[in-house]
Amino acid sequence: MTPPGTLMLEAVEIHRDYAMAGDAVHALRGLSLAVHEGDYVAIVGPSGCGKSTLLSLLGALDRPTRGAVRHRGRDVARLDDRAATDFRLRSVGFVFQRFHLLPMLTAAENVALPMAEAGVPPRERRARAAELLAYVGLGARTAHRPTQLSGGEQQRVAIARALANRPALVLADEPTGELDARTGTEIIQLFDRLNRDGTTLVVVTHDEELARAARRVVHMKDGAIVRDERLRD
Amino acid sequence: MPAHRPAFPPSSPCRRPAPRGRWRAAIGAALLGLAAAAPAAAQAPLPTIALDARLRDDAGIRLGDTIAIAATPDGPARRMVVAAFARRTADPSEVARAEYKVRLHLADLQALLAYGDRVDRFAVVTRDSGATDRVVAGINARAFGFRAHRSRDIAVETGRTFAVINRFHRAIGVITILASAIFLLCIMLLRVEERRREVATLRLIGLSRRTVVRAIVVEATAIAVLGAALGTGLGWAVSQVVNRYYQGLYRTPLVFSLVTGEVVALAVALSAGLGVGAGWLAARRVVGRPPLALLGR
Repeated sequence: MTPPGTLMLEAVEIHRDYAMAGDAVHALRGLSLAVHEGDYVAIVGPSGCGKSTLLSLLGALDRPTRGAVRHRGRDVARLDDRAATDFRLRSVGFVFQRFHLLPMLTAAENVALPMAEAGVPPRERRARAAELLAYVGLGARTAHRPTQLSGGEQQRVAIARALANRPALVLADEPTGELDARTGTEIIQLFDRLNRDGTTLVVVTHDEELARAARRVVHMKDGAIVRDERLRD
Repeated sequence: MPAHRPAFPPSSPCRRPAPRGRWRAAIGAALLGLAAAAPAAAQAPLPTIALDARLRDDAGIRLGDTIAIAATPDGPARRMVVAAFARRTADPSEVARAEYKVRLHLADLQALLAYGDRVDRFAVVTRDSGATDRVVAGINARAFGFRAHRSRDIAVETGRTFAVINRFHRAIGVITILASAIFLLCIMLLRVEERRREVATLRLIGLSRRTVVRAIVVEATAIAVLGAALGTGLGWAVSQVVNRYYQGLYRTPLVFSLVTGEVVALAVALSAGLGVGAGWLAARRVVGRPPLALLGR
């Protein structure tokens, strides 16, 4: 196991430019960020400052125009599609604002889906899906479909799915953005427990309560980091 | 003329024993005058006749009834006893013909038409095809003024019209399949496009393009095969309705619509092929786009 404090994820001088209506939009301007094992980082800032773009680059969902993104020393920004897909499958868990669960599958089947792709045997993935759903407090709702679950419950299923292949890193984009305050607090508590159990978290959020729950808060503006504060170790 | 005549030929399903001697089938005489008459006189047996079964239904004639028959509307009539009813054979060339057919013994037909010892056509039945060839060659070597043909050759000749109709039906089928293929492809593209968020989710959480394409193709193929199965069932049911309707309308045993195993196999194979093709094209189109673009970002 990697000792706590070891560098896990690193963005080095990354730029991301988009061409829009003939003009270049600079979403990220030479940003650098280092995330260590076991850390819990909240990225905050006004809309359009590049938070979600940064998260997409950290998770190999997108490629920087310039710069490098290294995960445990490997530049994931230079991976081809197949390798980037495999990186997302095995090394990172994603949690999205709108949950993105498959409506025709049950909660357990949604959780088991990444395991099926990773080649986990059916019995094992059923057991692990049940275990993960119990972990997020949905042990009694494994057979429910997303439409039969509340927003908070759907987000918990999405978190369980993100943990399916035991990734050391979870990236979350506005995970409480669609939830009411009480449900949002439950998700924040779940993230806190997740981090205490050893998962490294990088969370993009507008939610001040969620940001305060993190160990470290990175403030962004106009595609760059303007402040990086550590709230606790 | 033969002195002894048997009953009506076996092709007449409603036959009953004939009162007189040897029969020879004479087919094709037109029934020009017909009237129900009083029961036949006991002392002088009347000649017998086989009527079209449709005439039985339309005119309410029963076996044993005596009818008057003449060659022309104002010609001399002869009284005959109805001895059998003949059903139509499943011959496509006769489906739309409205006239009734009757069968008389050759001697009675000659007497009615005043043709003398003359026939328009006669049929020879042989036990095997070798004998048929010998008989045809023998007749053609001796006959003057007519030629013998094998019934198979006549069927081929008369079937040429139906071959054209068959080709026409095939052309309609090909056009239908082509239109269906385009329609299916458009439906698949729309369906996959509607589900681009789901595809994006699968790609975001690490499912490979191959897995996504395979899932879409399997789904499309399953839908196509299920559609083919439902279509086959529906086609069979419609075929039954069509056959019942037209067999009743034309009073013929002819089968108008036939769903064969070959047709079903072809339909299922075509559907599965189209499903795979349409699913694959739609899947390739959607997985070719970046997952974030599929989410509209």
